[in-house]
Amino acid sequence: MKSVVTTVVTAADAAGRFPSQNDLEAVQGNIQRAAARLEAAEKLAAGLDNVTREAGDACFNKYAYLKQPGEAGDSQVKIDKCYRDLGHYLRLINYCLIVGGTGPLDEWGIAGAREVYRTLGLPTNAYIEALTYTRDRACAPRDMSAQALNEFKSYLDYTINALS
Amino acid sequence: MLDAFSRTVVSADAKTAPVGGSELASLRSYVQDGNKRLDAVNAITSNAYCIVSDAVTGMICENTGLIQAGGNCYPTRRMAACLRDGEIVLRYISYALLAGDASVLDDRCLNGLKETYIALGVPTQSAARAVAIMKSAATALIGQTNSPASGGAKYRKMETTQGDCSALVSEAGSYFDRVIGAIS
Repeated sequence: MKSVVTTVVTAADAAGRFPSQNDLEAVQGNIQRAAARLEAAEKLAAGLDNVTREAGDACFNKYAYLKQPGEAGDSQVKIDKCYRDLGHYLRLINYCLIVGGTGPLDEWGIAGAREVYRTLGLPTNAYIEALTYTRDRACAPRDMSAQALNEFKSYLDYTINALS
Repeated sequence: MLDAFSRTVVSADAKTAPVGGSELASLRSYVQDGNKRLDAVNAITSNAYCIVSDAVTGMICENTGLIQAGGNCYPTRRMAACLRDGEIVLRYISYALLAGDASVLDDRCLNGLKETYIALGVPTQSAARAVAIMKSAATALIGQTNSPASGGAKYRKMETTQGDCSALVSEAGSYFDRVIGAIS
């Protein structure tokens, strides 16, 4: 799993040396930003179900045709799966906030997503709409502190860009 | 390879649950004690040569048969290999301490180490003893419990802020114990 610490350790190990001052400073920088990340992760975890529901509703409101026969959300089972997938993306963002890097999203969310969506005939626009809604809906200080929100939104943007 | 953060994430993913609430508490303490941890890693890396050479010479002093003809630290070529291995073990322990997780130590150092030592005829009891001496030296440096009496001419106190670092001392000790457990 890629994170600041594992990247630093991998580089030190490849060179066969002990962690240098540079390495310790890099980890220190990561730690300094960690408080905001952990706050965002905590708030997101607490409201994960609500955020997922709102995001899914927003997407079906904008793309109402998705519920018509023959479309991606023409049965309750398929609609539920859409909400489930959004929940997965938000959960992976929660993991990224914990780790402090995009490792979880890259390894478990984005790798292979394009191929899967093409095979299943799913529109990525709908996911983008849902995640964009979440990004624009979140606000400080109602949901979390400004710095935490900044971290949260940067991972939402990363996911949106990856799906675009 | 995992660190304290990705370890939490991987175990949360197995339950498809987000990380929140109580699981965050241990991560918050990692963050809060971040500077202590970096000081601890620095205490090991800055004194690596001293820790390793003391451990290997100590091991030999306790069992002088090692440097007599036929012993495993005779001739110098084999003692050099011993010093090198001590440094490698200490290096992976410093990585584990930095990451707050033993996976790097397990995957890249301990996996197959015992089998290798047995195949090469290295006495694992002596190796474990050297690691135990490294443990007492490293934990004394991290916890600043070393004294002129125990350190002798090589006595050194790290210039860090005084404070409670018992958690880090026991965490570092657990990585040394992990090595001892893996090879004996």
